[in-house]
Amino acid sequence: MGKNWMRLDNAALIFPAISHTRWSNVFRVSATLTEPVDPALLQRAAADLMPRFPSMYVRLKTGVFWHYLEALPAPPQVREDFAFPLTLMQKKELKTCCIRVIYFKNRIAVEFFHSLTDGTGGIIYLKTLTARYLHLKYGADVPAEEGVLDLNEAPLPEELEDSFPRFSNGVALDDRETDALRLRGTREPNFLHLTTGIVPAGALKAAAHRYGVTVTVFLTAVMAESILAYQTERCPERRRRKPVRITVPINLRRIYGSKTLRNFALTLNPGVDPRMGDYDLGELCSVIAAQLNAEATPQRMAGRIAANVNPQNISLIRAVPLPVKSFIMRLIYNRRGESKGCINVSNLGVIRVPEAMAPFVRRMEFIIGTQRSYPNNCSVATFGDETYINMIRNIREPELERRFFSRLVELNVPVAVETNSN
Amino acid sequence: MYCVKCGVRLTDGAAACPLCRTPVRDPDGAEAAPAAPTYPERYPAPPKTRRYPILAFLTALLLAVSLSAMIYCLTNLHAVSWSGYVMLACALVYFALLFPFWFEKREPLIFVPIGFGLTCGYLLYICLYTGGSWFLSFAFPVTMLAGLLTTASVLLFRFGKRRRLLKIGVLLTVIGLSNMLIEFFLCITFDTRMFAWSLYPVCSFSLVGLVLILCCTIPGWRAYLEKKLFL
Ligand SMILES: [Zn+2]
Repeated sequence: MGKNWMRLDNAALIFPAISHTRWSNVFRVSATLTEPVDPALLQRAAADLMPRFPSMYVRLKTGVFWHYLEALPAPPQVREDFAFPLTLMQKKELKTCCIRVIYFKNRIAVEFFHSLTDGTGGIIYLKTLTARYLHLKYGADVPAEEGVLDLNEAPLPEELEDSFPRFSNGVALDDRETDALRLRGTREPNFLHLTTGIVPAGALKAAAHRYGVTVTVFLTAVMAESILAYQTERCPERRRRKPVRITVPINLRRIYGSKTLRNFALTLNPGVDPRMGDYDLGELCSVIAAQLNAEATPQRMAGRIAANVNPQNISLIRAVPLPVKSFIMRLIYNRRGESKGCINVSNLGVIRVPEAMAPFVRRMEFIIGTQRSYPNNCSVATFGDETYINMIRNIREPELERRFFSRLVELNVPVAVETNSN
Repeated sequence: MYCVKCGVRLTDGAAACPLCRTPVRDPDGAEAAPAAPTYPERYPAPPKTRRYPILAFLTALLLAVSLSAMIYCLTNLHAVSWSGYVMLACALVYFALLFPFWFEKREPLIFVPIGFGLTCGYLLYICLYTGGSWFLSFAFPVTMLAGLLTTASVLLFRFGKRRRLLKIGVLLTVIGLSNMLIEFFLCITFDTRMFAWSLYPVCSFSLVGLVLILCCTIPGWRAYLEKKLFL
């Protein structure tokens, strides 16, 4: 790579502008091995990945007009886990390093500042890191397949590209949605509660198929049902109820076939308006499936990309000094960014690893943080026979978790729960 | 072990269900060894606050300034003289700007009125010391007005974050109008001409304020502006 810095991609721009203690601007991917992790070897593995993943080993710097990502002079120091995952990355930390490589007992975890990449890119990094670690520790030779990258190769230009402008169709899609219900609770300062629901992937799939939908749609519908019940209890008067929508990130690589390791996802907000009447789970499933099918098409997603990319192409906006730009972005984001949904349900799908790696890895997980007006968030990943549903919250009450997981149990999906906050 | 209420499987040795807080009654008794925690036990140290050393330094600085002024006046002029102003000014700066920061939670509704009260006292001291007669008819009402406005805006913005633009509009209008009051007090204290300058701030502030109020109250305007001005 000729120059040692790069622009932020289109989706990444917002994260440095919005710094908020309620918003953990970080997500985590983790792999749990069969044996305790050796920190020294993990450090070596992290160093060995540096030339292959230039877009991950960066720190956030400030220019006059934009933030940019600068290559790290040395690989980050691996460290032991914190008492709770997804600790906010403060400005000071971002200036030195935007990635955390963490170990705890058998677990390797990587936390990314969200400007670097999204869950899909993060998992590719984690798989390659784990493969390298297994090679150093056990001499395992993991072939470069199933998302493990070849360390002897040079990074491909398309892995480092910002794919958003390439797939924009230039016509901004205008969708104004009314504000959705906002979940509330007693704020827990300086702590994120994590509840992991471990679910047999087969039973979950069978339950989804009973309703004729995919696992993502099924979980989204169960979440919507739980939130609808939550609202019904609090707001008996139907006319005053708010729309319940679930923010579902769509991996655009699947739609456009991009190979980028940077952010390339957009969110949709399927949901229902409870003022119109009650919905049962079957209806929720079909409504949400229909909404997602109608929106997650290459054509309409290109319009959504355009809505985000177009302002960035106006030279007058580009010329605005960064502090002013950040201020305005913050204003707009606070007004319209996050009020359209109640909670994220982010399904990374099935994480596959090369066969040579499988005997060493027990589980792989994906955890997203809370957001400004989302006190709860939910991320899902399937590894092997289990689906790991990670629900995180910055409030005290586990009410939504209780409703969601016990509803799954009712639907014949057995759930085992683990938490970090007993 | 399963939770009897919500039916989820719990980690071994859990004392209660993490979802519904139902205590676990394990028929096997306490034989089941607790499972290893999935995250480290230690609670993260709260972020270090570096403001205490700075606060202590600034307090000492203010103390040193006021003490040296007093000592200078007492030894050279054999009277309190102007060191009274310096000392009271230091006290004012301390209580208005530094004192609240010693507290973890700064309650503006307490500290803002205290600050203005102290300012009032300071002005009274100057007025009495110089033998002026401007305190009751000018300094006192103007400080009280400023204090009232500041407290009102704190109240407005602390409770309820909705309709900020409307609140800003109302506040700007009130601030504009209060200029006229200030000029009135100036006028009766120092015999200046009424309406010499106050009309300019009144007009400009109220105009901006009224536009903001209109933008917030007339839905069409707001939608239009949002459509035209969004980035
Ligand atoms: Zn329970």
